[in-house]
Amino acid sequence: MKPVRTLLNTIAILTVFLLYAPIFLVMLTSFFSVRRGKIIWESFSFNWYAKLFSNAEIGAAVLSSIKVGIVAVTATLVLSLAMSIYTSRARTPRWERTTISALVFLPFLLPPIITGMALLVTMKEMGIARGVNAVILGHVVFVLAIGFRTLQTRLSMLDPALIWAARDLGAGPWRCFFQVLLPQLAMPLATSAIMSLAISFDETMITLFIVGDGMTLPIRLYGMMRYGFTPEISALVTLVLLVTAILTGALAILYRGRTASIAE
Amino acid sequence: MTAHWFSAAIWRVSIWAFLLMAVLIPIGAFLVYGFFGVEGGSIVYTLSLANYIEVASDPVYRKVLGKTLRIAAEVSVLCFVTGYIVAVFINRQRPVLKYTLIFAVAIPLMMSYVIKIYSMRGLLGHTGFLNQFLIWIGLIDEPLSVFLFNLTAVRMTLVFALVPFSILTTFVGLERIPGATINAARDLGAGPIRIFWTIVLPLSFPSAVVGVMFTFVLSVGDFLAPELVGGVNGLTYGRLIFSQFGIAFNWPLGAALSLVLMVLSFAVIAVAGRLSNPGWLRREDP
Repeated sequence: MKPVRTLLNTIAILTVFLLYAPIFLVMLTSFFSVRRGKIIWESFSFNWYAKLFSNAEIGAAVLSSIKVGIVAVTATLVLSLAMSIYTSRARTPRWERTTISALVFLPFLLPPIITGMALLVTMKEMGIARGVNAVILGHVVFVLAIGFRTLQTRLSMLDPALIWAARDLGAGPWRCFFQVLLPQLAMPLATSAIMSLAISFDETMITLFIVGDGMTLPIRLYGMMRYGFTPEISALVTLVLLVTAILTGALAILYRGRTASIAE
Repeated sequence: MTAHWFSAAIWRVSIWAFLLMAVLIPIGAFLVYGFFGVEGGSIVYTLSLANYIEVASDPVYRKVLGKTLRIAAEVSVLCFVTGYIVAVFINRQRPVLKYTLIFAVAIPLMMSYVIKIYSMRGLLGHTGFLNQFLIWIGLIDEPLSVFLFNLTAVRMTLVFALVPFSILTTFVGLERIPGATINAARDLGAGPIRIFWTIVLPLSFPSAVVGVMFTFVLSVGDFLAPELVGGVNGLTYGRLIFSQFGIAFNWPLGAALSLVLMVLSFAVIAVAGRLSNPGWLRREDP
């Protein structure tokens, strides 16, 4: 039994290691030059980053990715808030609740190639031009499931007495929403915002269908990658990963208290 | 009360209008598109079964689909086994390390897929780290170019990108198994192998199968990995579909090919849904 266990543990540790190793190697090649399989540690420089920052095309791609992210996430939060509150009301019939959930999850669960194509043909028939605005629309449809699910889970755990109490004490529906419901939803809203932003920032497959002549960072990356493995791409990859790391860090800080309590 | 009813109606109408425009119409359009045709670079809006007949009768599509399904199955099995080993390992650690490791496994899921493919390219390429490593340990003298631009590279990339799903879903299942159950079995004299086969595996399988479903559905429909590391011979079903929207310009055929993909994906999701919620689990539900 002992050697088997050692073997299995080795496989496990190796797998976790291999989840990161290739990515770390890419990051290294953006700072150091590699010759004959050896990383030359003296060659450390930010040259590739400097080159990247002077590249106007990449700057434009970064800006449009940020624009897509901000607009799409804002729209997603508003929509998922409205939908999750609507489906959580006791008055909403059960069939409507399940149908809305199913329709929200469908674009997220389908293979991205199908969601992308479905959006493409619809936009063409409706006369919506491909480009950055189309991408925003596509991202909203795709990430809506995240916000909806997160908010719905929180709403289902919420004590309805909170709302009843507020209403009994004379709060109108809007006051009730802003002073009672919204503070309770702050955490899931922040979670959905960060997660949708991360997904929107990285989304490639659906975007590829509807981006047209527009450009987002992953699409730029995809275009550059077709021509090989260069330090410049590695530098861009490192920057994109930095954004991911910041978003993940934000999520971790958000849940710090919570994970600690699970761990106990 | 009237005002309230009115505002509720507005909510209802706007939610449904959005879902209609953003989900129902696109899915509908995609389903109908498969019945259209293409002539001289523009789409012909007359309904016909021509695309579906072509998909069903041309052996090329069947061959590519078969090959893709096999790759997806291999990737899923590999992810399942590796994911299981890692999840068991993580679940055995002390709480702090356990949750740190789970967090470490979840982080790569936040990373861009394109970046993961690029990393694999850096690993497997002609000047890649795998070649350098093999030269360094003296196994080869010259870098080999056999690692990249083939279906094995696609398989490796998919496993690399998807294995966190299997690890996480399996972990969720393993964590739910009460320690008392395993202790009871051990007290009654069951060995580790017996405990694994009769308790751990059956109790964690419903969760693990969700991971298998994810890996399978995502690898069947993928076109980025084949496109970027598959090379000229790396034609997969997803890539075949994607090419209909590029150079081949045959959107209706692309839609028809995708319908096959969608039906397959739903079948897999349905089977996984069934397996992840077995009878004995349902009965226990209050």
